[in-house]
Amino acid sequence: MQFIHKIWIALPMLLSATACTAQIKNMKTETVKIQGNCEMCEHTIETAGNLKKTVRLDWNRDTKTAVLEYDSLKTTRDEILKRIALAGYDSDAYFAPDEVYAALPECCHYERSKKGGRTPAKPLRPAETAATPEKTAAAEAAPIQKVSEAYFTLKDALVSSDAVKAATAATRLSEALNSVKMEELQPQEHSAWMQVEKQLKTDAGDIAATSDISRQRASFASLSQNMYPLLKATDKAEPVYYQYCPMYNEGKGAVWLSREQTIKNPYYGSSMLNCGKTTETLR
Amino acid sequence: MHFTYKIYTVLVLLACKYTLLQAQKVVRYDLYVRDTLVQFTGKTRKAIAVNGQIPMPALHFTEGDTAEIYVHNERDEATSLHWHGIFLPNKEDGVPFLTQMPIPAQGTHLYRFPVIQNGTHWYHSHTGMQEQSGMYGMLVLHKRADDTTFRKGIDDLPELPLILSEWTDHRPDNVHRMLHNANDWFAIKKGSTQSYTEALKEGHLKTKLTNEWKRMSAMDVSDVYYDRFLINGRNESSYGPFRAGDRVRLRIANGGASSYFWLRYAGGKITVVASDGNDVEPVEVDRLLIGVSETYDIVVEIPADSTAFEFLATAEDRSGSASLYLGSGIKQLHTPLPRLRYFEGMQMMNDMTRMNGRLNDMGMQMALQRMDMNTVMYPEISGVKKKKERKKKSGTHVHETQAAKPADIVTLNYAMLRATQETSLPADAPVRELRFELTGNMNRYVWSMDNRVLEESDKIPVKKGEILRIILYNGSMMRHPMHLHGHDFRVLNGQGAHAPLKNVLDIMPMETDTIEFYANAEGDWFFHCHILYHMMSGMNRVFSYEGQAPNPLLPDRAAAYRELQAESNRLHFMAQNDFASNGNDGMFMLQSARWSIGTEWRLGYNNRHGYETETHIGRYFGRMQWLMPFVGFDWRYRSAAHAGNGKNLFGQTSSKDRRAMLSIGVAYTLPMLLVLQAEVYQNGNVRLQLRRDDIPISPRIRADLMINTDKEYMAGLRYIFTRNISARLHYDSDMGAGAGLFLNY
Repeated sequence: MQFIHKIWIALPMLLSATACTAQIKNMKTETVKIQGNCEMCEHTIETAGNLKKTVRLDWNRDTKTAVLEYDSLKTTRDEILKRIALAGYDSDAYFAPDEVYAALPECCHYERSKKGGRTPAKPLRPAETAATPEKTAAAEAAPIQKVSEAYFTLKDALVSSDAVKAATAATRLSEALNSVKMEELQPQEHSAWMQVEKQLKTDAGDIAATSDISRQRASFASLSQNMYPLLKATDKAEPVYYQYCPMYNEGKGAVWLSREQTIKNPYYGSSMLNCGKTTETLR
Repeated sequence: MHFTYKIYTVLVLLACKYTLLQAQKVVRYDLYVRDTLVQFTGKTRKAIAVNGQIPMPALHFTEGDTAEIYVHNERDEATSLHWHGIFLPNKEDGVPFLTQMPIPAQGTHLYRFPVIQNGTHWYHSHTGMQEQSGMYGMLVLHKRADDTTFRKGIDDLPELPLILSEWTDHRPDNVHRMLHNANDWFAIKKGSTQSYTEALKEGHLKTKLTNEWKRMSAMDVSDVYYDRFLINGRNESSYGPFRAGDRVRLRIANGGASSYFWLRYAGGKITVVASDGNDVEPVEVDRLLIGVSETYDIVVEIPADSTAFEFLATAEDRSGSASLYLGSGIKQLHTPLPRLRYFEGMQMMNDMTRMNGRLNDMGMQMALQRMDMNTVMYPEISGVKKKKERKKKSGTHVHETQAAKPADIVTLNYAMLRATQETSLPADAPVRELRFELTGNMNRYVWSMDNRVLEESDKIPVKKGEILRIILYNGSMMRHPMHLHGHDFRVLNGQGAHAPLKNVLDIMPMETDTIEFYANAEGDWFFHCHILYHMMSGMNRVFSYEGQAPNPLLPDRAAAYRELQAESNRLHFMAQNDFASNGNDGMFMLQSARWSIGTEWRLGYNNRHGYETETHIGRYFGRMQWLMPFVGFDWRYRSAAHAGNGKNLFGQTSSKDRRAMLSIGVAYTLPMLLVLQAEVYQNGNVRLQLRRDDIPISPRIRADLMINTDKEYMAGLRYIFTRNISARLHYDSDMGAGAGLFLNY
């Protein structure tokens, strides 16, 4: 029925194309304050506010006010201002969401008067903050600890798909690998180290040498496979989780190690962040 | 948002009487159930109000009270009230035909039970679709001030009970019928048709083809389109004033009939402090998804003065939201959740579905909401992708995207819930393990457990004093909030002795979860999916204690159970007819979970075009219901001069002019959702037919195709204007080209 309705409305409008200044019925006029900077702001604000035959809005750049004409039976001032706020512009009724404001073009970043608000979410890592002092002490004691620290930083960089950070972390990892003195290793660490040392160094070097994240991930798959026997052989202050994603590399799968039990998959962007499972907990 | 109740019957008769009865407080409420008219959308619609309001009034009790609730049913339809999450005598549980007979039209009923727990709960009608029409309300059981579990900084905060719900302008019974008839009007309203032209535009043509090859229709995270989403019956509302630094506890129940809600807060983090009325260790998150009928208690802080911060409840399918502004002053909005990327979801389902329709979790052992496969559809997590950026990739894994921003949004999952007290069950009690697979079939809207609807299942016997450990696997393609009456169960989530207690478990497709409870009650208890339309389609079981005393409210227990079974497997009617220039093309059908009775007709306007009808009575087999053997009756008449007798592809002569034939046959759904029908008539003639209806060409255009071995064929195109009206063009080998108005019910 709605469609037929629309035809009835559309037909006379087409026939009288000249009379295009749509009349607003039950018109109410108000002046409202809306923040903004430039011409682009004006365009965004007016596009967000205007509604055919219901709302006409004219925003003034200098006074930062808008003249609002609207059909008071069909809409309200708040409804219009909410739409404008959701497009990124504060008014005297609404503050725009922070993410939407942040996404505005640079020239549109007007000065905001608001206080408080949603602080950008930070990852919740209670285990890490609580265990910091202990961990640094452990790092001095165990040479492999330094390697694993660098490995986890690399893994986190891949989780957030940051190729630059990953390359930096891989450089650190190479340094850590090179600084391992075999004579300081425990016997079981020693035998594990002997088997994987060469491949670890190659993979870490490969990751550091490229900024192509898919190549980094391919090397990381091999690196992680070799990290596993090493970390398994090491004494750990806290458990390490051996995790597996069956989908990577066309279903061949790939493993990684993590200090968190929650799955954060380093092989895919955030869309498949939770893909995977913990296959073993190393203690 | 304009929002007016027009209530015919003016009434507010809430009598709350406090009586001292042997040092025990009896708290009495009187609830008057009446018909009302509402205008949630501007259109006037029928609804049910209790004491003149939607939602029903919030009922408050303190642990140790005795609840006395008088229900005065002033409507011409039976009703009931179920106390969701409450430990009470079985006859007070409020499930008609299971724990009591329905409260008759114009009848009065007293629910009376001692309050032996505390926490956030809710109550609703357990009769038909009344919950969708407004019969839901908060039920808050407060801790006593001297309770040893009283938590300073949480239990002494100002609190606000919030009940979430949704509204549809369609009659709920009709919604249910439409779901069973695979009417895709809701998808059109939601913009989630996922048609071929949309697939083409988004570079997902192959995804769509694979999807139909695997015999799936468009996927969605919810079934019904709702016109409005509501918090305490309002789309937008404010609560305040608050000062900077104030904290408030929101007691939230999801009273929606079928909507999950994302809960987010513009003023910062959300601290979850209880779930389903049971305290949990506070856990800080950015957002949580509240399942249908779940309750969560959360604490939020108001970070600034003279600003009101938006608490935003967005439907899981993101078709709408409801807002509550906490504080006073300028309103700080939260970012709306972007539209779902349905084709990404479709691709994910393709990857994880085998050709036989079973799901394949690729060995990922999903559980406890930790791995949300729907994330591939969330632009706020996986980043906004431009159309052209999408590259074809080889192999099965196609979810690789370069993240637009770090995925540091913390979402609550069940593994994060930890009870404040030890919840271990008696060590010496015998443990019995039960397994259920949640099964379903979206195409025919059949929802079941172990591929059996309630009508096909007996009550499950339980011995008092044993521990029931239930392993649930969701093998269906929708998530299900499974609710157990009268008990809390432990969710075995790795928290050991501190496993959280809940009475609703949301279980996502492919997940396996384990719950356990101590059988310490008596009577018959419902265990069911709390999505109203799934429950009314048969996704239910009953746990029945052995050797229970007779229930005085249920004189004939066996007959009542049969009624309960029948209630969730009713026949659904549908009909359609194309009033075309070359004749009438139509059908009607009656369907239940397994059976289908249908008649098709093609009626010309003259003897040359002829008249024919085909009637089939069939039964669906298998979990996916792709196979339907049937018996049929065929009648046709066509003037002989024009028709003659044609030979079919097998060289058999088929009489077109005048025939009345019995047949037996079988219909089977092939890849691409083509229905192959093989039929043998009483004279030995054989007919094979291939048919596909409702090919989604564009959001509103559908195509039909048919061809058979009698050398008949048909092709049609139809444009959908409304739920009931389309325009159709078609060509039929018997009747030629035609244009017409297509009506469907």
